[in-house]
Amino acid sequence: MFAKLWSYPKTNIERVALVLVLAIVLLAIIGPFIAPFDPLKIAFRSKLHAPSLEHWLGTDGSGRDVLSRLLHGAQLTLSATMLVLVVVVAIGCAIGIFSAFVGGAVDNMLMRLTDIWLGFPPLILALGFASALGASLSAAIWALIFSWWPNYARLSRMVTSDILSQKFIASADALGVPTHRKVFHYVIPNALDVLVVQVALDVSAVMLAISGLSFIGVGAQIPAPEWGAMIADGRSYVANGWWIVLAPGLAIFLTAVSFNVVGDMLRRELDPTSRRR
Amino acid sequence: MAETPLPMVELQGVSKSFARRLFIQNRSFALRGIDITIGRGEVVGILGESGSGKSTVANIVTCLTGYDGGTYRFKGRDIATFTRRERFAFKSDVQIVFQDPYGSLNPRATVRASVMESLLLHRRDLDKAGRMERADLLLEEVGIPASAGDRFPHEFSGGQRQRIAIARAIAVEPELLVCDEPLSSLDVSIQAQILELFVRMIRERALTIVFISHDVNVVRLICDRVYVMNQGAVVESGPARDVLSNPKNEYTARLLDAVY
Amino acid sequence: MTETLSPAVPSTAQSEAPLLEIRDAAVALKSGNRTMVSGVSLSVMPREVFGIVGESGSGKTLLTRTLLGLQDDAYVAAGSVRFDGRDIPSQGYAASARKLLGHSIGFVPQDPFSSLNPSMKIGKQITEAIHLAKGWPMGAEKTREAAIRLMGEVGIPEPALAFDQYPDQFSGGMRQRIVFAIALSQDPKLLVADEPTTALDAITQRRVIELILDRSRSHGLAVILISHNLELLRQSVGRIAVLYGGQLHTIVDAGDIGTRVVHPYAEALFACIPTREKELADIRSIPGEPVGAGFGLTGCAFSTRCAHAEPICRTAPLPLNERLAPRFSACILGRGA
Repeated sequence: MFAKLWSYPKTNIERVALVLVLAIVLLAIIGPFIAPFDPLKIAFRSKLHAPSLEHWLGTDGSGRDVLSRLLHGAQLTLSATMLVLVVVVAIGCAIGIFSAFVGGAVDNMLMRLTDIWLGFPPLILALGFASALGASLSAAIWALIFSWWPNYARLSRMVTSDILSQKFIASADALGVPTHRKVFHYVIPNALDVLVVQVALDVSAVMLAISGLSFIGVGAQIPAPEWGAMIADGRSYVANGWWIVLAPGLAIFLTAVSFNVVGDMLRRELDPTSRRR
Repeated sequence: MAETPLPMVELQGVSKSFARRLFIQNRSFALRGIDITIGRGEVVGILGESGSGKSTVANIVTCLTGYDGGTYRFKGRDIATFTRRERFAFKSDVQIVFQDPYGSLNPRATVRASVMESLLLHRRDLDKAGRMERADLLLEEVGIPASAGDRFPHEFSGGQRQRIAIARAIAVEPELLVCDEPLSSLDVSIQAQILELFVRMIRERALTIVFISHDVNVVRLICDRVYVMNQGAVVESGPARDVLSNPKNEYTARLLDAVY
Repeated sequence: MTETLSPAVPSTAQSEAPLLEIRDAAVALKSGNRTMVSGVSLSVMPREVFGIVGESGSGKTLLTRTLLGLQDDAYVAAGSVRFDGRDIPSQGYAASARKLLGHSIGFVPQDPFSSLNPSMKIGKQITEAIHLAKGWPMGAEKTREAAIRLMGEVGIPEPALAFDQYPDQFSGGMRQRIVFAIALSQDPKLLVADEPTTALDAITQRRVIELILDRSRSHGLAVILISHNLELLRQSVGRIAVLYGGQLHTIVDAGDIGTRVVHPYAEALFACIPTREKELADIRSIPGEPVGAGFGLTGCAFSTRCAHAEPICRTAPLPLNERLAPRFSACILGRGA
């Protein structure tokens, strides 16, 4: 399977992006173990040190090692992103697939519901959750789950409808294939392509949302090393501590862009219309 | 012919109309009170152009869709009275092969898995190894080497996919096989191959077949009897040779005249 | 009932110059420069009805569209095309060929449904074609009359009323006639019809073909009829060119098929088609899968499935019809010559 993945990139940008994505995922997993310093340890004596051999990315206003914070933050930011996506995909697809199978009035109603739900401004929701639960990463996660699931409900419903209209489903009906088997053996395997592409593209969107919410103070709070929060923290030191903002900013940028490029690449490679007949 | 026992399929006055939203090109694909009988061991053709309702008949006979009026008796029993268990058993009595070889197999299932699925559902007596063995035998029977069983449908040509679809259909050992334009989407030189496959299967498995087609020449070659349909009604029926050389109905005559 | 109304090769063929001469034409795809069709040489006489048969993937549509300058992703890689006494230059071939489409060659493409503008009234589509061909001097009223007359000739009922209708108000058969009218509006010398009857029912199909043949007889129009249906061509045209795997294998008289020994592929193709006269025992399928255009091997594309094939068939170059003989067999073993 990996070999197949490796054959997808067609340009150098794509190759670099794929490598970056894999590297970022790897760092998110092992980051905390390889971080040289304790990301939370305050050491006012070493504050605002520029990048040096001791602190590769320098220290921030409280003397914390930026590199270590970045590595811990990778895990924080990315696991938050993944949590949102996993929940959103699970709930959204369950509702979407159910809706497509049931059809008729129920289907219509559910889709109207998602329409309405999509009208909720995510930011207001986030503020709402923050005031109810106290501003924290969890609040940001809840807010995003709340506002993002309808996207997957609509997408999975559309994809499932498409699949159900195909002749191999009629063939399954003729055989008496039970509904649960249809869902797991017919619908989901054929819907994966579309879903995987959407998830890859959404990673950067969700990550930016989480970082954004942390940046404005509604999500993760300082001293948590979440990247958005790190930028917020570093705001006041831009003049004499530019590395404090640059490091997490660059990290967010690179992650978002490389996931986007990989997402586009996957969309092109997995598009069934381009597959050899 | 000796007095035949109960016909396998008996459609009496069956009609079907479609809701507005299924209108295609301002014609509704309706059926108007048709009578069709299919006896055991027969190869019966349903000849008609698109819009004649012939595919609707296929779907009704296989219970893929319902009907609005009339009765459908299968082996003497009105299917409207079928219990849930009988409806499931029906699935192993009647199977269907569709026109489009590209859409009728699950793109995400290996070819062997597609055939094994039939066995999984209707041959509970077989364990996985048994199913695999039978699936391989069936693939070989339709001309697909068992070694290709792990491949996916897109790796096969149209004709090969049609063979696989046939294998999947006969895996349950149906008494009746409905074939809805099985040759129409295939290349000319492949049509003859699949036609030969059908002829062989009819002979070796003593299948009863409903063969739906717009191709007069093919119907004449393999069908014992034929029903000619036009705009939702049966306009003529009888022994294939007779109807297709001495038509009594005006539409049939025009159709035969037009065919090359 | 009509058996062959043999619009045959006109008896004046010998003295008359060919209307279309294609010499050793090859077609390649722009991306990758892969040769898909090669070695096609044939000539069509004025007023002749000529057929081209090939299964899907044989390259017949690609060849036709590229030679007419309509295929964006392919080009004429070799050979020459001469129409009505004038060579089509190889530089800027596509543009030059398309110019001919406006005046002397009418084209009926494979799918009439997408070649009609759904938001333009059909009358307007026909008058536009007339204008493009003959120029504006005709005047709006005269052009409209010409269009209505043409629509009547192709069998569109109540043409004056139909003039103001939109394509989606017509059935498939009628739309095909409209496309036909557009192709004829330029009063061409040659009509090229690519699978003009797929997706039409049998009765309509017969009507459209007879319409084309009638037109040819009455107006002296040369026709190239392209189809995968050998039996249809056998009953309708004079000579048939057979394409397979991107190669021209033979040019035969329609009447020779099934009666004389012809090229093995033509023979095999005819043998596997159910026709009115055949019984089940007469049908012999061709084993194996069709080879697509651009199959990339030397030798005869049919050699993998031919009952008469010898080892030399896979390696020797396929004979070409350099002298543009009206009847020709490219069999390496000389069958059907």
